[in-house]
Amino acid sequence: MSLAETTAPPPAASPPRPEIVLKSSQFRKGREDGWRELETIVARVERRGIGALTLDELQRLPILYRAALSSLSVARAIALDRHLLLYLENLALRAFLVVYGPRLDPANGLREFFRRDLPQAVRAARWHILIAALALLAGIAAGFLLTVQDESWFSTLVPSALAGGRGPASTRADLLSKQIFAPWPGWVEAFGVFANMLFSHNTLVGIMTFGLGLAVGVPTIMLTVYQGLVLGAFIALHYNRDLTIDFLGWISIHGVTELGALILFAAGGLVIAEKILFPGRYGRLDNLMLHGRLAAQMAVGAVLMLFVAAILEGGFRQLVASTPLRYLIGFGVGGLWLAYFSLSGRRARS
Amino acid sequence: MTSVQETSVHERTSRFFEGIRTERRQIVTPEGVPIPIELANPGERITAFVLDLFIWLLLTLAIYIPIFSLIQYTGTSLIAVSIGLFIGFLVRNLYFVYFELAWRGATPGKRIVGLRVIDRNGGPLYPSAVVARNLTREVESFIPLGILMTGGRTAQGMIDWENLAIGAWLLFLTALPLINRNRMRGGDFIAGTMVIRLPKRALPGDLVERVTKYTFTEPQLRAYGAFELQVLEELLRHPDREGAERVLSEVCEKICRRIGWPKPVPPAETLAFLREFYTAERAFLEREQLYGKARADKHAAPKPPVDPNP
Repeated sequence: MSLAETTAPPPAASPPRPEIVLKSSQFRKGREDGWRELETIVARVERRGIGALTLDELQRLPILYRAALSSLSVARAIALDRHLLLYLENLALRAFLVVYGPRLDPANGLREFFRRDLPQAVRAARWHILIAALALLAGIAAGFLLTVQDESWFSTLVPSALAGGRGPASTRADLLSKQIFAPWPGWVEAFGVFANMLFSHNTLVGIMTFGLGLAVGVPTIMLTVYQGLVLGAFIALHYNRDLTIDFLGWISIHGVTELGALILFAAGGLVIAEKILFPGRYGRLDNLMLHGRLAAQMAVGAVLMLFVAAILEGGFRQLVASTPLRYLIGFGVGGLWLAYFSLSGRRARS
Repeated sequence: MTSVQETSVHERTSRFFEGIRTERRQIVTPEGVPIPIELANPGERITAFVLDLFIWLLLTLAIYIPIFSLIQYTGTSLIAVSIGLFIGFLVRNLYFVYFELAWRGATPGKRIVGLRVIDRNGGPLYPSAVVARNLTREVESFIPLGILMTGGRTAQGMIDWENLAIGAWLLFLTALPLINRNRMRGGDFIAGTMVIRLPKRALPGDLVERVTKYTFTEPQLRAYGAFELQVLEELLRHPDREGAERVLSEVCEKICRRIGWPKPVPPAETLAFLREFYTAERAFLEREQLYGKARADKHAAPKPPVDPNP
């Protein structure tokens, strides 16, 4: 059977009126109903989600999808109708995105994320975490050594907004009564304003530390060292006034969590930087894609930690006015983080 | 995802009509069928982003107005303000993640413009990828936007050079989609995603005429290839477009000259003649293609006959 059949015209007719039958048209007539059905189903899912389909439609969807793909392949071979090809390509793509779309609903995704993905990502990046922690420690040590000898370094290292009036001129009594054992400012002030502001500020700094990993990690390390310098300068200021123990207790109540978050952000940035610098078997882009999600998961975990830290800092820091209790809370929460990251999600996905 | 290597004829025709406005790539489904995709262009993405900002603003206002009217009513309550601020923060940071998860890769803005986020390799779009691509939004969009809006000035009206420097540096990140092949943001790089255009195409009717008046000979039909056929198809599909009548009559004249049509086609018959020519030409070219003698355009040299005993 040839593609274009030209049947002989009836003898009486003049001029001759041959009838043309195209295989591609026949093909289209035979399959069109299936395409239309798939189009309706896909449009419904696009509008209202996969839950809007009936059981019957759900069963039909993959069958119709495969039929549409096969139609596309056939049409490419036999049809020259451009709009038919464009329609089939478009339909196949839309159906493909529905059939192979994400299976998880947001709530389920969140649960999986916290139970498995986040701790696994953190464990996979243990060396990056070590490097980030070392950078932070180096910063603390440098800041401490510089300021302990010459307190004028304090004003150089610590921006005035962070110093909050503290500096070489502060006396021991000032630091004790105005900062470390300052009176509880009240719920509204503590949680509402202070914690909120801290959280937004810290998140911004952290996300920048993370995002700058795209610039091969140098700014990430620099920012981390700098945070260490500031902390070191503070420690030195209090060390010179014989307040080290009290100050560390005061800061550890939230600082353990906050520094942990900072290290996670920096480690995430370092993962990205490493994958850009040393792509290994894959191209840089592919490598970044393979590991970028892990890094981003760590950053999300870090945001969560900052949230907890802000609540601890805004609320409990001044509410708990005893140094041993502050150590207990700070390192207790730190221990919980450690246990969560090292133990959760070790079992295989069920 | 790969770039489209061999350009099919209908791709070429699309480019002929649409120019280089669209960048095409292709993904291969797990069934092994390559499907072309169109990258979203920067204008569309900015439009979608601005729409999202607008909707976000409305949402935030909808949250704020009851809180502030409550303050008006009770007089006091700093805590209401800070809760409001915190909800604003949450809405801003979760808006994109939530919608891209719940609406499978589309925020309301993207949906209005007709864009979708997909996995670059054609795999499923995982929640972690959605979170990853939105995590850098703060650095890429909101901070530079903030600096732009304040003009890099501090609260006291001084020019804050440090701020401006950060802004300039971040603007480089913002401009990233303009300078890479696949128009990816920093977040797309990390998450392995890309943003494509996903229009809804309707299936128009078949142009084929079953009952014909004119007959064309094989040498006449051999004058053209698939490209010309599809250009003709496009013209025939829009006969009521402005100026179409003139174009159609010119095309008709040209075709008649090329195939040596004996007598001129009356103006009233032009459309019918062209449709019949289209039908015959398509029937001929499709049959040739099926026999492995596809003809891309009128310049394509006829294939030399295959020697059975080489």
